Amino acid sequence: MAVIEVDHLTKRFTGLTAVDDVTFAVEQASVVGFLGPNGAGKTTTLRMLLGLVTPTSGTARINGHRYADIDEPLRVVGAALESSPAYPGRSARNHLRIAALVAGVRPGRVDEVLDLVDLTEAANHRVGGFSLGMRQRLALATALLCEPEILILDEPANGLDPEGVYWLRTLLRDLASEGRTVLVSSHILPEVAQTVDSVVILDHGRLVTQATLAELTGGTQLLRIRTPRAADLADLINARDGAARVVADDRIEATGATSEQIGLMAAEHGIPIFETTTGHADLEDIFLGLTAGDEQTR
Amino acid sequence: MTRLVRTELLKLATMRLTYGLLAVAAALSALFSLLENNMAGRAGSGVPPISTADGLRTVTTVTGFAMLFAAVLGSIVANGEFRHSTATLTYLATPKRTRVLLAKVIASSCVGSLFGLVAGIVATGVGLAFVAGHGDHVALSAGTLVGHVAGAVVGAALVAALGAAIGSLVRSQLATVIGIFVWTIIIESLIGGLYTSTRPYLPYTAATALAGTKLGSAAFGPAHGLKSGGPLPFAAGAALIAAFAAAAALIAARTTVRRDIT
Repeated sequence: MAVIEVDHLTKRFTGLTAVDDVTFAVEQASVVGFLGPNGAGKTTTLRMLLGLVTPTSGTARINGHRYADIDEPLRVVGAALESSPAYPGRSARNHLRIAALVAGVRPGRVDEVLDLVDLTEAANHRVGGFSLGMRQRLALATALLCEPEILILDEPANGLDPEGVYWLRTLLRDLASEGRTVLVSSHILPEVAQTVDSVVILDHGRLVTQATLAELTGGTQLLRIRTPRAADLADLINARDGAARVVADDRIEATGATSEQIGLMAAEHGIPIFETTTGHADLEDIFLGLTAGDEQTR
Repeated sequence: MTRLVRTELLKLATMRLTYGLLAVAAALSALFSLLENNMAGRAGSGVPPISTADGLRTVTTVTGFAMLFAAVLGSIVANGEFRHSTATLTYLATPKRTRVLLAKVIASSCVGSLFGLVAGIVATGVGLAFVAGHGDHVALSAGTLVGHVAGAVVGAALVAALGAAIGSLVRSQLATVIGIFVWTIIIESLIGGLYTSTRPYLPYTAATALAGTKLGSAAFGPAHGLKSGGPLPFAAGAALIAAFAAAAALIAARTTVRRDIT
């Protein structure tokens, strides 16, 4: 069952189409990575989903309802938006007390989530003095306050140190194992690759693909080729619908063409090939390929 | 709705600004009632001695500053959320934004009334202390004095509500705060000085009149001390300010409040 449904969603700001006819769905109890480079329209999409931004056209629904029509929305959806702000003069505890009051959750929950995100010691300090990583933790604490079934997290790893990123991954996995649905955005795929079941990739406001990780990696074979004329061969492959990039003076990596096709192409043009190995492309390559490919056709 | 108003009150209680503005309002009330007291009875000051009802009233009803600051606080309750982008969380919790607007107006008037109460007590205290110091007879009845303090409470509550409505209409905190000061200190004074018959209908002047301040006493410029005309009846004056607040809130609900939170 899809708990999040985005249907032909479009948002135009003056002179800019931030989100262009985007359609995707998120199934219950799945962890979905919402990916794309900075400026791809991820945040605007999430804000439309959360009723903060009015779509120009299309709909975004949670459990079949517009966000504004959900009773007690904080109990259904926990959201941590980019640099989720808290009043700088307030302590972390007071910030959460306010959220707890408006959501009608028991006050004891405030200390539980502070503990969960490791902010207990800083609880009575003013948020204005927090590091970016601490603010991210506070935003996560706010999202988790009402133990919602659905979590929408916008770039939660921003500002976290490596230890924090590891902690975040563990947290997301725990949430998923409890059967919660998580939509987590990132512009860096490896941050979420180990955690997500599937990905939705946006670029320049448009949906590039929605796929499971297996679909993404399984379908694409990566060829690593050693040749003294790396640049020439790469150009040839790119000219014939493949995608190749020069990784060293004498090495290229290519997708979208078989080793036989590349071998024939090279022979036609008298390009010697010293070595060819095949393997699965890693996610970062696919991600860069999908988003950069769009750059070339624009 | 109660939960939303309580949330807004908790937000105010956890902001140092609330206490700061209240302290400034109290201090200015004390300072200016002392100044009025100092002028009372002096030749050429236009303020009668505090042994008279008129003179005592001039000192005990210096509550206009509290109203000014209550309006400023009300505006910050609304658009402070945009200055610090906390509107995101507020609207995530309560996506029906008109309800948030209403809760902010109500919470602002609650805290605004506190400003009026503190200023009323301070100004009345200063007046009575000097009357007692001179060994004079208290020229105003206890009922009148309490009535003025109650009027300050109502007036400050209403202008705070008006401030919250204006703050909902204009998202820029700086523009709103400057606008409130310019309106009360310069514009109302100019309009009131040029067209004296409009004075009872000017919102800030009307609010101070609720607290027993004579028309013109709370004014800063040309309208100051201008004696002509009387204020609206209490209920009419209160209804007038409430109508201004309701109109501003209604326009805000149909325009600014609906805008995207990016």
